[in-house]
Amino acid sequence: MTATTTQLAAPAIRRPRTVLVGTMFASGAALMTYFGVLAVYVSERAGARDAGEEWFPEGVIELGPSGWIFWTLVLAAFTVQWAVQAIRNDDRPNAYIALALTGMFGAAVFNQLWFIINDTGFALAGTRGQFLFFVMTGTYIVFLIGAVVFLALTTMRALFGQFGPSQDDGVAAAAMFWHAVSVMYWVTWIAIFVTK
Amino acid sequence: MTMTESPPSEAAESSAAPLPAVGGLYDWLTTSDHKAIGRIWLRFGALSLLFFSVIDVLISFERLDADAIDVFGGVNSYFQMWSLYRFGIVLMVAIPLFVGLATVITPMQVGSTNIAFPRAALAAAWGYVLGTLITVISVLSGGGWGALDGVSGDEADAIRLTLLGTGMVMVSIILGTICVATTVVSLRTSGMGLTKVPLFAWSMLVAGSVWVLTLPVAIANIAILSIDLSGGAGLFVGAPNPDFDVYAQLAWILDQPAVYAAAVPVLGVAGSIIPVVAKGRQVSHEAMMILIGLAGLLAIGGWSQPFFGDERDTLVYIAFGVAALVPVLASLGGNGATLVAGEAPVGIPPAHMIGALGSMLLFLAATAAGALRVIDPLDLIGTTADTGVLNLVAVAAILGALGGWWFWAPKTDGRLFSGIQGLGAMTLLLLGGVLLGATDVIAGFVDTPDVLLASADDSLGDAMIVLSMVGSIVVLLGVLGALGAIALAYVKPGEADDDPWGGHTLEWATATPPPAGNFAEPPARVRSEAPLLDETPGDEGGES
Repeated sequence: MTATTTQLAAPAIRRPRTVLVGTMFASGAALMTYFGVLAVYVSERAGARDAGEEWFPEGVIELGPSGWIFWTLVLAAFTVQWAVQAIRNDDRPNAYIALALTGMFGAAVFNQLWFIINDTGFALAGTRGQFLFFVMTGTYIVFLIGAVVFLALTTMRALFGQFGPSQDDGVAAAAMFWHAVSVMYWVTWIAIFVTK
Repeated sequence: MTMTESPPSEAAESSAAPLPAVGGLYDWLTTSDHKAIGRIWLRFGALSLLFFSVIDVLISFERLDADAIDVFGGVNSYFQMWSLYRFGIVLMVAIPLFVGLATVITPMQVGSTNIAFPRAALAAAWGYVLGTLITVISVLSGGGWGALDGVSGDEADAIRLTLLGTGMVMVSIILGTICVATTVVSLRTSGMGLTKVPLFAWSMLVAGSVWVLTLPVAIANIAILSIDLSGGAGLFVGAPNPDFDVYAQLAWILDQPAVYAAAVPVLGVAGSIIPVVAKGRQVSHEAMMILIGLAGLLAIGGWSQPFFGDERDTLVYIAFGVAALVPVLASLGGNGATLVAGEAPVGIPPAHMIGALGSMLLFLAATAAGALRVIDPLDLIGTTADTGVLNLVAVAAILGALGGWWFWAPKTDGRLFSGIQGLGAMTLLLLGGVLLGATDVIAGFVDTPDVLLASADDSLGDAMIVLSMVGSIVVLLGVLGALGAIALAYVKPGEADDDPWGGHTLEWATATPPPAGNFAEPPARVRSEAPLLDETPGDEGGES
């Protein structure tokens, strides 16, 4: 055994991408749940329009705050991918900054959504439109909290050194779920806030 | 996730460890062995099967003369039990039996030492048990999926509990399925590309994907209904009291095309059993994979729910209904060709063979009845033909799952089940399934309503309802026979070889019962869809 061979690095163990694949299925299920609610919303709204009923009073839903959420999530999509890339490069300071920024954007989205809910003045026991608006935003908040918790767990595991260049599945999985939650909002933004 | 975090060397060491004893409640609540987790699904699924079979006999008895017989004590109670049977037989029996079988068998079939996310799989198994118990108890307490003549406030609370239980069962199925599907995608052994995956594992990947994409839509419906009942103004469930709307808005998962997804694994079970019985390779493994994939594709529902209007009048619904027949028929043809091309021994067929072929025939009958049902001039929708299709699918799935359980018993339970008793039970289930399903479909032709609240006013309809009850009793006898044989195998355990049938896939390379980690040594690089045939000297099959 020569010194040269003993100094050779062992090949990196490439674990099966189980976490990523599992998250892919879970993200699919989450998207279908959310789009199931959205489809009912759109269908009921179309029914109300056909019947000549008012869905929301004019001017109650403002495009401004919902647009801020849209762009916040666009920024968060970049920061979460920044975290994935940083972990792959074993650049831990950048990974921590990126994960913290993404979490902060998540909190900002929650705050903005809460503002919108209070601003509309809708009641759960109001009209069909108001009721479904509550169900939609409530369901979205549940998934948003799930994504933030997933991200927080990932950040902690990254801090403890469990994720590195050859084991980036956890961070990539959290990023995938984050993107799925972002897609939910972007579709909602068009379906509810833009087309009203 | 312990498994994914273990480097290969550690996994190999752990595979030599003895089978962990799973006896006390603590062990059952904390095990991370996929075989023990699968047994939770299988055993509770078997108990649920017995319970729901008894419920079906009681419902059939009341249907004999709905005006005079009152088994359950009132029209609401009848409706609650009628809907409990329908949700239960699909969501709490048929699908869980397949999830349990797959949790045990699929990791071994793909050469893995464990299932992906074993703790999540365990949580799913107990979630299923808890969800089923909550559902049944809430229905017995006056809950259910709405009522036909209004309900009291207490009963409305029980309805919310029923929705919670149903939702829990659905989430558990999704979670358990994600573990199985991830195992098939990520934990395949060396050389096993997706086209070389055994057909049962493939069918679970396909069916699981359909469940993962379909059941969440039903969960969304449940969320809307639950919130509406809790704090809403009863906008979707008929203020002030929930009524038939609750059932109507969820019933699409018991209706074609979504209900077919429960029976898609039948094609995989048959595709795994038939070549072993025929002692030859599947005539075209890839073609069978495509057919199973097509069957799954045509079982995607969700879009046909009443929230979106009556989609059952559209051309897409009719196309789905008719096209579903094609992959099942072609798959049956493929398995038939395999039997003909092989060297199946002449004589009494083994129980698992009857289970495999019988379940395919019932599934075929279900899709044929479904194809008739969507033909508008026949006007079958809303009649007992709905129940007929549901029962054909449900009994097909149960027969397929039991056939698979008989076949893989050395690996699931470490022993062989009685062949003769199994043969009798499978035959009874097949005959009962035909009677149960076909009679309801025929009764549909004379406009016998699905929710029968009064006696049918047609002599043919009456006769069919009597025969349907006979079918229910025959199914119950078959279930009792099967469960009795399984219980007897525990009282008088017989010796089981590692590979009693001459199997073709990797689960038969493990010991009986399989040790923790499944394989004493990592499996050799896989070269075909039937790796054990590749290793057999003198095999002429070669690689496919």
